[in-house]
Amino acid sequence: MDKFDVIVVGAGNGGLAAAANTAKAGLKTLLLEKHNIPGGCATSFRRGRFEFEPSLHELCSVGTAQRPDQVYKVFDDLGAKPKWCYETGHLFRAVVKGEDGYDVRLEAGIEAFCDSVEAAVPGSRKSVKAFVDLKPKIDAAIAYIYEMKGQPKGLTMLLKHSDFMRVAGHSVEEVMDALGMPKKAQNMINTYWGYLGVPTDELNCMHFLNMLYGYMVDGAAMPQHRSHELSLSLVDVIVKHGGQVWYNSEVTEFLYNDDGSVAGVVANGEKLYAREVISNVIPNNVFNMSPQSVIPEQNLKLANARDFGISVATIYLGLDCTAEELGMEDYTIFIMGHPDPRTQYNTRAEDGLYIVNCLNNVVPDSSPEGTCTLFFTMPIFGSDVPKDLKPEDYKKYKNEIAKKYIEDAEKTLGISIMPHIEEISVATPVTFARYLGTPEGTIYGYKLSGWDNLMARIAGEKADYAIPGLSFCGGHYIRGDGYSCAYIMGDTVAKKVIKRLKGDA
Amino acid sequence: MALWKLNPMDFTKMNPTRQAKIEAAPAKKLPELRTYVPNQIAAALHPEVQYLKVIKIEEEAGNCKRYYLGPNADKGTDSLAWFSAGQYLSISLEIGQAKLTRPYSIASSPRDALNGFYMLTIQRVEGGLASQYIHDNWAVGTEITASAPLGNFTYEPLRDAKTIVAVVGGSSITPFRAMAKSIAEGDEDAELVLIYGSRTLEDTMFQSELKALEESCGKFRFVNVFSDEQREGYEHGFITADIIRKYAPEGEYSLFVCGPQVMRKFVDKEIETLGLRRKFIRQELFGEYFGPAKEADYPQNVASEFQLTVRQTGKEYTLTAPADQSILRTLEAAGIAAPSHCRSGECGWCHSRLVSGEIYTPKSVDGRREADLIYGYIHPCCSFPVSDLVIEVSPL
Repeated sequence: MDKFDVIVVGAGNGGLAAAANTAKAGLKTLLLEKHNIPGGCATSFRRGRFEFEPSLHELCSVGTAQRPDQVYKVFDDLGAKPKWCYETGHLFRAVVKGEDGYDVRLEAGIEAFCDSVEAAVPGSRKSVKAFVDLKPKIDAAIAYIYEMKGQPKGLTMLLKHSDFMRVAGHSVEEVMDALGMPKKAQNMINTYWGYLGVPTDELNCMHFLNMLYGYMVDGAAMPQHRSHELSLSLVDVIVKHGGQVWYNSEVTEFLYNDDGSVAGVVANGEKLYAREVISNVIPNNVFNMSPQSVIPEQNLKLANARDFGISVATIYLGLDCTAEELGMEDYTIFIMGHPDPRTQYNTRAEDGLYIVNCLNNVVPDSSPEGTCTLFFTMPIFGSDVPKDLKPEDYKKYKNEIAKKYIEDAEKTLGISIMPHIEEISVATPVTFARYLGTPEGTIYGYKLSGWDNLMARIAGEKADYAIPGLSFCGGHYIRGDGYSCAYIMGDTVAKKVIKRLKGDA
Repeated sequence: MALWKLNPMDFTKMNPTRQAKIEAAPAKKLPELRTYVPNQIAAALHPEVQYLKVIKIEEEAGNCKRYYLGPNADKGTDSLAWFSAGQYLSISLEIGQAKLTRPYSIASSPRDALNGFYMLTIQRVEGGLASQYIHDNWAVGTEITASAPLGNFTYEPLRDAKTIVAVVGGSSITPFRAMAKSIAEGDEDAELVLIYGSRTLEDTMFQSELKALEESCGKFRFVNVFSDEQREGYEHGFITADIIRKYAPEGEYSLFVCGPQVMRKFVDKEIETLGLRRKFIRQELFGEYFGPAKEADYPQNVASEFQLTVRQTGKEYTLTAPADQSILRTLEAAGIAAPSHCRSGECGWCHSRLVSGEIYTPKSVDGRREADLIYGYIHPCCSFPVSDLVIEVSPL
């Protein structure tokens, strides 16, 4: 086999975006995937007459043809044309159970968003608006940092971009507290912590604000034909430009040159060589497929220091009634047992926070006429799976989870789900461990914990990924998980590789 | 605006904090995946392959043999994966130069798997390549390569009614032997009324066993329906709506249907008259599809064979593909190791990219995803060529 310019390991969102970029740039590209279809989490599966979306809740930072945002641009620049559908109306509905509970809908669009929080928490508007208004300041600071090639002048930062430093250097709740935002308004907005798996007293404020803004301004987008469409649209780009995609081709070993730079990989028992390798596979797995001597000490220590990010338990229901008949008007409902994110996080295995999505409210024909689907998501860690759980008790374990949450949603929302279940599938961290092959079934790579937050990761990038010729992308990389981040990082990383390879050609 | 309360210089502390955290961590080899609980359970439930060995063979009625398969520890399989009654194993076979798979429902119970064996009951089908090969060649000690347990023809407590009424014909009884035992052993909390159509008492598989199970297990009822003989105390004829009504419980029940395609055609019409909600009717996999030319939407004037170019991990093969044979069968006959499991269009394991050309897939077995149709992907197990083709096939 001739040497490739680039081998991309893993056809998850990051790997697909990366391989599509390198193939399009004319580099001889091979994408290796251990499963028989691309996408990782970004796929779909069929049960009976239903085709389920397995993981995507809503893509942020998409935008439209008229007003494209980052993700739209990634696809469009590559020539990939998935059909986007947009959520209309509100961003989400948040229901907190119990005495101090509430049931609110937050609206899309900056002014409408602030108004909707104000309506629910009178007197909060000023602080909410001040919070949202930090976003353009962050963008200006980041533009300056880029302009200075990552070496901004300290004094300029302090004089011109001190608010950026405040936001990027503190947690979401620290910033909100400083702005005097009422706790109840904070809790409502911070409902979104569930998408990042880190509660907002720990989550970096800049990270959260970027995501919030992405949803608020662009609204959320979904592909018309489940995430499988997104993945196939990127594969289409790769093969159109002469790249190859091999499925059922698990990489079992990483190969290195004498100087410690990466030389290629082994898949299907065959040695495959490349000038550069991009790994969509988490460093933990890559390092365990590499001779220990090539791993820079800092990189190994970092992997040892990190906690794994959150995984999920999910329930997929195909119902023999329409969303209207069911009484589901919303696309996204967050249901929470407690008002504040930290308690929700701590009680995640009981009734902390879960999400109910009804895709028919964004993509009406995503299930056959007279039916609808529901998708439940419970953020839990792989380490929350009982240690003594036996394989033979696993089905019971899954069904107990499903029963508990379906009944809770019925009670909380006042609707009747159970009698309509025509198809059901339940996934847990075990399922994600199986399909993604990540430690503990993490879908979010490493936890974006206080010390290992987005800003600190950006600053540490060069030292953290120090094996020559080996780049990383995907949920475990700098920006953490979420489809948008994975696409954007895959795109960014590939562009750096292209620059290196085309430069030395 | 009271943001000034926050110290901007905290920003500059983030890197040193992170560096200190990294510095304090050990530079030791990272734990292997098998040390994490979710990964352990995933590996136990869904091994990528199971190496098995024939440990016992018994004759069974209806020209069948029972094959008891145990783990082949020499090849690295130490225990058998747990499953849900109703699931199947996809067995890999090499017959002459052909490399193929066959799905067989597991007839033993999940508990039996914990005790070290799966049992498959395989009927010798005249003209059946795989079944004849197995009957003629498998002996105690024969090494077998199988998939993990697969398939969704299982009882789901949150979806199905508490009582399953199974309408079954011929050798399709196997998954219900597993289900009946699974209920009796307490692994499924359901009741089962098994209505079993066979030609004669003599042809009936598992007869004495299932009768005995009916005696000992209050949740299992067993009803024989003989098409070719009248016997006192047994039903006679085909399985009609009247017979189903007679044995079905009052109120809701889930109908599970499994049998040869001719029987299904008859039973489907009977079922329509029962007026059940769709969610209470579950059909086992249709089985391999043959003879596309009989379909009303099959294209006109199709040539009898085409050129099939196959790309697989950088290699390319050119084959002749008969129009009336599935692409999967053409690949297998040529000795190309191509993925397949259910062979009924449903599981998607054979998912392949159609690079160029046209295929025909009967609607009744088209289990592809929506986006597959847009981007040109096919399931070779139920796709038939109607022009010269270029396809990309995954390795095993």
